[in-house]
Amino acid sequence: MNGGPRLFSILRQGPYLIASIHTALDDSQLVRFQQDLVERIGSDRARGVVIDVAALDVLDSFASRTLRDIGEMARLRGAVTVIVGIQPDVAFAMVELGMDTGRVVTALDLEEGLAELDSHVTAPPAPRT
Amino acid sequence: MHGWGRRPPAVRSAHRRGTPGRTVSRVVAVEPVGSPGGDCGSADVAALIPLVRRIVASRVPDPATADDLVQETLTRVLAAAGRVEPGMLEPYAIVTARNVVTSMWRDQDRQRRHQHRVVDLRPPEAPDEDVLAREDRAAVAEALTRLSDRERSTLLAHEVSGQDTRALAAELGSTAGAVAAQLNRTRARLRVEYLLVSERVEPPTERCRPVLLAISGGDRRRQREVDAARHLLECDLCARLSEPLVGRGRSRDDAVRVAVRTDADVVAARQAAREVATRLGFSTTEVTLIATAVSEITRNIVRFAESGEVVVAELQEPRKGISIVARDAGPGIADVEQALQDGYSTYQGLGLGLPGARRLMDEFAVVSEIDRGTTVTMTKWRGET
Ligand SMILES: [Zn+2]
Repeated sequence: MNGGPRLFSILRQGPYLIASIHTALDDSQLVRFQQDLVERIGSDRARGVVIDVAALDVLDSFASRTLRDIGEMARLRGAVTVIVGIQPDVAFAMVELGMDTGRVVTALDLEEGLAELDSHVTAPPAPRT
Repeated sequence: MHGWGRRPPAVRSAHRRGTPGRTVSRVVAVEPVGSPGGDCGSADVAALIPLVRRIVASRVPDPATADDLVQETLTRVLAAAGRVEPGMLEPYAIVTARNVVTSMWRDQDRQRRHQHRVVDLRPPEAPDEDVLAREDRAAVAEALTRLSDRERSTLLAHEVSGQDTRALAAELGSTAGAVAAQLNRTRARLRVEYLLVSERVEPPTERCRPVLLAISGGDRRRQREVDAARHLLECDLCARLSEPLVGRGRSRDDAVRVAVRTDADVVAARQAAREVATRLGFSTTEVTLIATAVSEITRNIVRFAESGEVVVAELQEPRKGISIVARDAGPGIADVEQALQDGYSTYQGLGLGLPGARRLMDEFAVVSEIDRGTTVTMTKWRGET
């Protein structure tokens, strides 16, 4: 439906998915991101997801809610979600706005996010691909 | 018009007087947090809607145009509410409504006169602008001569030579705060004199200057003392000059307008706000707060009205700030007060994101009329440096 450049990417790394947002997304693009990611969690049988939001200019009520929803849906599909890259200014605005990421865990960067996933995903990763 | 502008009966009866028929008007004032103007009397703006509507309707036969002009008037009155004495709001609204109507006729007339130029591909405004700029400089120069020597030299040292208030205070044997206050009074006077020079008029009465000065300085106590409200109704000149003097949101030249119809426009609006705020020297944290607030209120337009606009403007007086006006001609919010309560706004409901946006800004006000539209006005002031 939109022929522009890819606004996000979802890559597989072992049992995990790494989803990176490349630019500011509008609401419909965020919804599309949510749909694609949740679908991939199912089709890849992922045990964990890292979402990198460093490129998002704001995390307003809609974006915060979308991330929280992704976390809930992932949980229902047996995957843990960690959000990384929330900029300090963005985090401050979220607090002022009265939003948070709910039960979704946050970490500083990708490396920490993966470590966080390892600690949450207690069972050994499924060997199948 | 979209079916969810249904209003609770209580609100309906409370506001029916004076507006026969369909309209219910609802305004909520949100006390500005740490604003220099004190209480923003925007609750009073609600009471003015029938009056404004009457004034406009008696001059403009086309209902759609009249609606636009009423909204425009309300927006300006709301923006000025923090700087004028509450008792002055009514005369100010009358004056503003008249001015808005007049300037619409003037614009139409100008368009008619310039219609033949549409085929002319040269940039038509350039020579005029040059003349304008020259006249403008001459007017400022002339206005400067009307200040006292001390006022002029302090102002020029600050504005032109870039001396800060602390250095000036040391030089003058005063405090930085006193110098800043004096500078504000001088600027207020300069604005009055500038307008008088550029309009080539002398005030017809002795009361005009004190009234104009009190309005220009946003000094509400002084406005009361000189009974500015009464004078505005009696004096045509001061009525005309008062609007530019109130000054807020007047820096239209610096204003960025974003038309809003789709999700992508929400991103465009917050990026426009980000640029203006950055230019004004807001910290990156404040810039993000502003962008987030803009995102929240712009989303309302996309969700609940077919289209609208967001206007981002620089404010210079009484200090640097950013003003954001989000306007739509959608169904309106039946109960603004409730929409501003936390927890009321759901993703199905109107007024989505309003409480959040309000927390991020210094001043926040909503004017909404059922079936006519909603205007959200918000301001953030730059902290003292
Ligand atoms: Zn006068």
